[in-house]
Amino acid sequence: MVEMPDESIHISVPTDERMTSVLRLATTAVASRTGLNIDQADDLNTALDELFRFSMTQENNPPSSVFRIHYNIHADCLEVVTEGIGAGFNDETSKVGRYCRFILEKMMDSVTEKPNPTGGLDVHIIKRIAQGH
Amino acid sequence: MPKRSQKKLAREELLSLFRTYNENKDPKVKEVLVDSYMNLVHSLARRFANRGEPLDDLVQVASMGLLKAIDRFDSSRNVQFTTYAVPTIVGELRRYFRDRSSTIRLPRGLRERSHTLNMAIQSFSQEFGRSPSIAEIAVAVGITEEEVIEGLEGAESTNVASLDTTTEDGDLSLLDIIGGEDKTMRLLDERLSLAGAMSSLDSREQNLLYLRFIEGLSQTEIADRLDISQMHVSRLLRRTLKLLRQDLTSKETYSS
Repeated sequence: MVEMPDESIHISVPTDERMTSVLRLATTAVASRTGLNIDQADDLNTALDELFRFSMTQENNPPSSVFRIHYNIHADCLEVVTEGIGAGFNDETSKVGRYCRFILEKMMDSVTEKPNPTGGLDVHIIKRIAQGH
Repeated sequence: MPKRSQKKLAREELLSLFRTYNENKDPKVKEVLVDSYMNLVHSLARRFANRGEPLDDLVQVASMGLLKAIDRFDSSRNVQFTTYAVPTIVGELRRYFRDRSSTIRLPRGLRERSHTLNMAIQSFSQEFGRSPSIAEIAVAVGITEEEVIEGLEGAESTNVASLDTTTEDGDLSLLDIIGGEDKTMRLLDERLSLAGAMSSLDSREQNLLYLRFIEGLSQTEIADRLDISQMHVSRLLRRTLKLLRQDLTSKETYSS
């Protein structure tokens, strides 16, 4: 995504399973602000939930670490960037990583990764606003 | 008359078994007693079956109640066992629900709001043939967007659906409706390249994944096809994905 977002929201949550409801609430609120419908908001929640849980299985994300999410709202889509997910997401030998990628690709309109300077991968996912809305 | 005497004889036999069990606590006698009252266990468990817990789990809980009742029943008192056992078993079931709900209890207002939202989403989807936005639901229900989000996520975070629970308008289990085909498992396995992981799901759970990930149906479309609500589809999908992830994670941890 090269265009500047209309609005950006950044949140950090501890990588703790009990934080999933916090993540869902925040994500649904942002999805609503973007104009995604309930199906799309739920897809986004599922994708982020998978990424969040996947990050907890990665060595560079110990239980005490933080999961950082950047929501970039554009006119036609919502771009979400999660910071520094472990390399396993891109590791073909990791079944959990392949599974997570499969779910993301099926539920999102675009999934790309970029190396994070401090380690791991930044995962960029995009959900476009449904036509006829 | 013969029927009556047969019934009386059975009661006498049971009473005799209780007396024996009171004296020697013989596990074999207890087993016979348990078998004799399993119909009662099933009948009481079914009374609680519409509260979102699988019937098998409820039967297990009710069976624990029966075991307690058998252990505590004093056959020397002139009281029928069922008179003593029913409140014990029902108490066990109620305690189970109380314990289960202590961490997932929603305020009544939020439960009602969640129900209203569910109805509004269904109604909107049927009328317009698409999933509504949160803003549209807020207008339809006459509450703020924040209240819609609170209602949706409040219910989502506390309600994990089971494929064994019955549908909202009938006795059919979702397992019955979704059905199962062997080819689903093969196809999903091929797409996911996750040989073996899918086998941890039953055929109905695999089919739900098939509808969403292979056929590419949205939650609203799946809800329409299965005649259930979008919120229910959301919960079922989440539960199924959780099972799949748990299986994969445990296998990866085990093999590493």
